[in-house]
Amino acid sequence: MIDFIWRRILALVPVALGVATLTFALLHLVPGDPVIAMLGENATAADVEGLRHQLGLDQPLAVQYVAYLDGLLHGDLGQSISTHQPVSRAIAQRFPATMELAGAGLVVAILFAFPLGLLAGARPGGAIDFSAMSFALFGISVPHLYLGPLLMIVFSLELGWLPLNGRGGLAHLVLPALTMGMALAAVTARMLRQSLIQVREADFMRTARGKGLSELSALTRHGLRNALTPIISLLGLQAGALLTGSIITEVIFSWPGMGRLLISAIGARDYPLAQGCVLVFALTYVTVNIVTDLAYGLADPRVRRQ
Amino acid sequence: MRAAALTGFVLVLAGCHPAVVPAIPANYLRVDIDSSPLSLDPRYATDAVSARIDELLFDSLLRLDQNGRFTGDLAASFEWRSPTALVFHLRPGVRLSDGRLLTARDVKYTYDSVLDPASLSPKRGGMEELAGVDAPDDSTVILRTRRPYAPALELGLLNVVPADTPAGAGASRTPLGSGPFRLAGFVRDEWVILARNPYHPYAPGAVPGVAFKVVPDPTVCALELLEGSAQFTENDLPPALLGYLRDRPRLTVSQSPGTSYQYLQFNFRDPRLRDLRVRQAIAMAIDRPALVRSLLYGTARVASGMLAPENWAYTGAVRQYPYDPAAARRMLDRAGYRAGADGLRFTLVYKTTQGEERMLLAQALAAMLRQVGIGLRIRSYEWPTFYSDIQRGNFDLTSLAWIGITDPHHYFLVFDSAMIPPRGLNRGDYVNPRMDALLAQGDATIDPNQRRAIYAAVQQLAAEDLPYVSLWWQDNVAVMASRVGGFKPYPNGSLRSLASVHLGAEPLEAAVR
Repeated sequence: MIDFIWRRILALVPVALGVATLTFALLHLVPGDPVIAMLGENATAADVEGLRHQLGLDQPLAVQYVAYLDGLLHGDLGQSISTHQPVSRAIAQRFPATMELAGAGLVVAILFAFPLGLLAGARPGGAIDFSAMSFALFGISVPHLYLGPLLMIVFSLELGWLPLNGRGGLAHLVLPALTMGMALAAVTARMLRQSLIQVREADFMRTARGKGLSELSALTRHGLRNALTPIISLLGLQAGALLTGSIITEVIFSWPGMGRLLISAIGARDYPLAQGCVLVFALTYVTVNIVTDLAYGLADPRVRRQ
Repeated sequence: MRAAALTGFVLVLAGCHPAVVPAIPANYLRVDIDSSPLSLDPRYATDAVSARIDELLFDSLLRLDQNGRFTGDLAASFEWRSPTALVFHLRPGVRLSDGRLLTARDVKYTYDSVLDPASLSPKRGGMEELAGVDAPDDSTVILRTRRPYAPALELGLLNVVPADTPAGAGASRTPLGSGPFRLAGFVRDEWVILARNPYHPYAPGAVPGVAFKVVPDPTVCALELLEGSAQFTENDLPPALLGYLRDRPRLTVSQSPGTSYQYLQFNFRDPRLRDLRVRQAIAMAIDRPALVRSLLYGTARVASGMLAPENWAYTGAVRQYPYDPAAARRMLDRAGYRAGADGLRFTLVYKTTQGEERMLLAQALAAMLRQVGIGLRIRSYEWPTFYSDIQRGNFDLTSLAWIGITDPHHYFLVFDSAMIPPRGLNRGDYVNPRMDALLAQGDATIDPNQRRAIYAAVQQLAAEDLPYVSLWWQDNVAVMASRVGGFKPYPNGSLRSLASVHLGAEPLEAAVR
């Protein structure tokens, strides 16, 4: 297992290099000039050249790329062009907010998906199954852009229970987490239901029922664990997607996370900041996948033995 | 178990992050803004949000009044000593928010630091005609220009920072100012909190502070106003929402004439668009009242030129192009562009950004031009890519807005042949020696009456030559809680009057909640 973890951690190196190279190339190839964005079209040629020189943008692209990689090797993500703040500090300020939101989204997904999936999988075709899957269909179908304001209207404007937006304590987290987590909850519930329906026919389930366990007890004690492997896989992949896909939710809820930071960095052609954000997103995504692989081992002893 | 651990992890994150919601006194005015200011140092602020907030933190030699005229701010009076020297006499007793007196030395320092090439201030490009600034004593400032330069009054709009404020790209902190407020807190992308400058007098009852909250989504901004967690916003809401908000009893919508000018730009590099008849036909094919009515829900006035009627140099006596598709078709026939089998005479590329309202305008223009046989291929891009294309002249048609036009010198920036990019804003490659001559004359003529006559000729020539089709002047629309009193709109959208705004009693229902 230790070997496995090391191998996966080492695999981060080429991923980081690939992401850094791709992001650098894409950002520098698309049109847009950070110097003009900062100085405006009225700027004199001397000012434009002066700032270009100061930012190192007058160097050949290859030189800029090597300097960027050199910085990365030394743990230096550079300095933001638009705010003059170290990129690592800007990201460190925003990363917890995005992690918090994605984590809360995942919690919401699990809290909704498991009961729904279990209830639906216990009696497929019944009224509970129909209701649970209808709810899941709603979760999948409603986009964040619509669900967010809808929740705000109900829980903030009409009921006055929760704050409308912004980042603060737990109360501020509820609505964005619901917005983030509902779609994942819906997909997970549907997959869990399907997985449980397949497991229900297995021999060990028949044995469990034969021992006198109720259908629900048999499912929760024996079926669920066996049905869990595809769910872990799904949640692992989607947890990464929650991190990187939080941008719309961050905008709707005025949430000061990395998604908004990335959007504004791209808009200002703030190369170091955008590169840093994408790199951190990518590494987090890969790390979440490593954790997912490890979770397989916890859920399924056969994987541990391999 | 694992779900519990995950829940715990999230709770820890939610509970342990630094206090990002600052304590805002209940009597502060809460204002929603759509983006965070990029820099609150007025020497580096280029975005509209920064400019709006800076007006509340700093003073400048001059300011534009509610009628768009230059009036003294730090300056008690000002006069032309010669065609190249503008003298300002400062008000006595103006103090920075730390209590120090603001003197002519601070004013000179501010201008010098902008003019210093090492400071890389984006404001330097607009001050090329400024030869230098003198401060012969603590209360006199002289702006010297390189030549007789009538737009020099515009130079007096630079906000002043104290003489010890460092400049340079790394100087991103917010300097002290002498404006009605001081900066009490700034969390990028979240809040900007202003408290009263204790050394700046204000009327009894006026709000003791203003809390700007960054709310990027306009729908959420509207919800905040409805909920009462925001009390004011200006020009951030889509017109489609305004009708609904107008009907809310706890909200007031203030709509007033604005000077932001929306135009359709031709690229003269395209031989078809170099033909005046084609440009005139396009102008007549566009139903501008319908655009204002349907797209903007009446929140604009159909424009006749770049200068709004509020500008001292405005003239309405220019050639107009009322909607007349039949005449447009005849004009195109005369120009030799006959419709093909598909009903099209030719197709143009229209470039725009990806905003919903921009796309709606593009589609409306495409439908109108289709009526006269001109196809419009719409290409939408994110802002930096679009902007880069426009700067490089890589477009046939586009529509943009000029915001904050004060002096008619703006015509020089956008229509003079010397201002074709990369230096300047004449992106459509428009060249007319007569226009160049008039603009040079307008810049060099100090007498306002003579200048007015010159710029009347400029406006008439622009309407004849049609480098732009004037679309509309956007109104300023402020939505505020009904208990907000004392707000006075400015044509340029300035929020300076927030300094004298007061809050009435909270409605009972909101107070209970």
